[in-house]
Amino acid sequence: MAVLNIVQAVKRALDEEMARDERVVVLGEDVGKRGGVFLATEGLYQKYGPDRVIDTPLAEAAIIGAAVGMAAHGLRPVAEIQFADYVFPGFDQLVSQGAKLRYRSGGQFSAPMVVRMPSGGGVKGGHHHSQSPEAYFAHTAGLKVVVPSTPTDTLGLLKSAIRDDDPVVFMEPKRLYRAIKEEVPDEEFTIPLGKARIRREGKDITLIAYGGPTVEALEAAEELEKAGVSAEVVDLRSLVPWDKEAVLESVAKTGRALVIAEAPRTASFASEVAATIMEELLDQLLAPVYRVTGFDTPYPYVPDRQYMPTVTRILNFAKKALDY
Amino acid sequence: MIKDTWKFQPFTEEPIRLIDEEGNWIADFPLDLKEEALKKLYRDMVRGRLLDERYQIILRQGKTSFVAPSSGHEAAQAGMAMAIRPGFDWLFPYYRDKTLLAAIGYPVEMLYAQMMATRLDPNKGRQMPEHPGLKELNVYTVASPIASHVPPAVGAAISMKIQGTGQVVITTFGDGATSEGDWHAALNFAGAQGAPIVFAAENNRYAISVNFEKQSGSPRISDKAHAYGFPGYHVDGMDVLASYYVAKEAIERAREGLGPSLVEFLVYRYGPHSSADDDRVYRSREEVEFWKKKDPIPRFERFLEKRGLWTPEEGERLREEIKAELLAAEEKAEAAGEVPPEWMFDDVYGTPYWLLEEQRQILLSEL
Repeated sequence: MAVLNIVQAVKRALDEEMARDERVVVLGEDVGKRGGVFLATEGLYQKYGPDRVIDTPLAEAAIIGAAVGMAAHGLRPVAEIQFADYVFPGFDQLVSQGAKLRYRSGGQFSAPMVVRMPSGGGVKGGHHHSQSPEAYFAHTAGLKVVVPSTPTDTLGLLKSAIRDDDPVVFMEPKRLYRAIKEEVPDEEFTIPLGKARIRREGKDITLIAYGGPTVEALEAAEELEKAGVSAEVVDLRSLVPWDKEAVLESVAKTGRALVIAEAPRTASFASEVAATIMEELLDQLLAPVYRVTGFDTPYPYVPDRQYMPTVTRILNFAKKALDY
Repeated sequence: MIKDTWKFQPFTEEPIRLIDEEGNWIADFPLDLKEEALKKLYRDMVRGRLLDERYQIILRQGKTSFVAPSSGHEAAQAGMAMAIRPGFDWLFPYYRDKTLLAAIGYPVEMLYAQMMATRLDPNKGRQMPEHPGLKELNVYTVASPIASHVPPAVGAAISMKIQGTGQVVITTFGDGATSEGDWHAALNFAGAQGAPIVFAAENNRYAISVNFEKQSGSPRISDKAHAYGFPGYHVDGMDVLASYYVAKEAIERAREGLGPSLVEFLVYRYGPHSSADDDRVYRSREEVEFWKKKDPIPRFERFLEKRGLWTPEEGERLREEIKAELLAAEEKAEAAGEVPPEWMFDDVYGTPYWLLEEQRQILLSEL
């Protein structure tokens, strides 16, 4: 088994899918000879040529919009947005065109495409290189939203996203790009969208997380174990569709839950999960479901790490839930 | 085979015109359209006009909720339609294209069904009226946000180029669309890629109430193509033959690998922007009357008459024939019946999602 980090997993997924299906093309700024600013498309241009690895003008609306049209015409485009913070010029193309094409045409047309974007903070990027804008997309019917947190999941989920018949926003937690390495099976595999993964089993409290803060959730679970508390960690992996069944099953068992995410709290996906748990499991809860999120400020350059849900913050909320 | 001679010069200051107001052929090349084609152009224009008028009636009858008047645009649209290979080329239209769509063979009963949101609408009644789309004919379903269909049109054209299909994309839009950022981003990308696409501006001089002088400091939309590295043609869009020949040349160029063109068709919108607009507030009746004297349909009638292809009696007969056709289509569309509410949950995704199933049950319990 090869040891891969998340960037290498992205690259392997793209390579395997491009080799498998000649309809798969990659487009974006600097994705060609440069191989992407994070090198996620490194070597693809040399292997597949300029027709399938397309260096685009610096215009996100053109990148995403063209991907919609390519997809409608029969290709399987994978668009790269250099940073999630730069997706907004292309927002209308995702929301008004990509998301609604199948619906507004009564199922005549569809947009099987992926929009990859590095998201989240922790890289000293200030607010325009650190945001987690997943809620905007999760709020839009017709889009799927996937946020992996490990190399294996990145590989398996990206391959599924490329094969999916609908537009998928694929958000890659950039601070983990090279921070996590693991052995990944050499043989081909996919991981279905919409399935959470139990990263750690426990019985006293459920820590639900996705993307970057999955790391802090696991660290917090270690700390809790030292204090004699058994925490279960559920990695959502997909936000749309999301795995309600896995979440409810875990929380029904533990009776306590924190929903942990880097994005600001107001109208966040964490709020959606928390509200669903309270609607469906109220009589089994031993404490309110707390959201442990980024703050409702723009993402600051300094302090970079303290903006995100730290292990300390997770532990403080866990204590609140356990002492309730 | 790359042609090295083309009929038309890009970036002219005056609009390209092939028949004058009196109906004389004034081009410097011979007319090579057969009688049948000329009659089709005429028929398509008249049908577009009558359909537009009929939409006003179904609006008053409460059978539809919105109309985007297209009278005055017929020549540009019928001309373009004849230059397209329907069902092979792809069309990314906007909401004022009923003449164009009917002319390429979009079944009129389906246009009506879209207007009335009945089961005969292949788009399943998901959008407000004047937003048709038909996969069978490669007509990309219309979206309301102005110019938002232009980047996807470029993507389809790039796909055609990559796959070497020989197809061409034609995308239409109004003058207001040319101010949107997405429009410029799309033209820029198409130019860089040499994509096989024709950008067709139906410049009726008003974006709702804002006239073209307030829309742009540039006197012509066609000039903007300069910046993107491809030709821009300035055309009298009330001259159906100029519209046809220029569209044909632009499409041929794209098909032969010479890349995009921008074609500006100068038209005039006789009606208000929509059924929700009152155009008396922002333009004088004298102005509208001035343009009505330039109506593309009588102008083409004069042309046909000079060639012995039209008499007032024949014209009247054709109108009656088309009216009967439209009425039959309207009845067929209406008879298909309303779209049922539970269809709301179909086609959000290609695969089922538990969340939508839960919500479908909520709706069903309310019915």
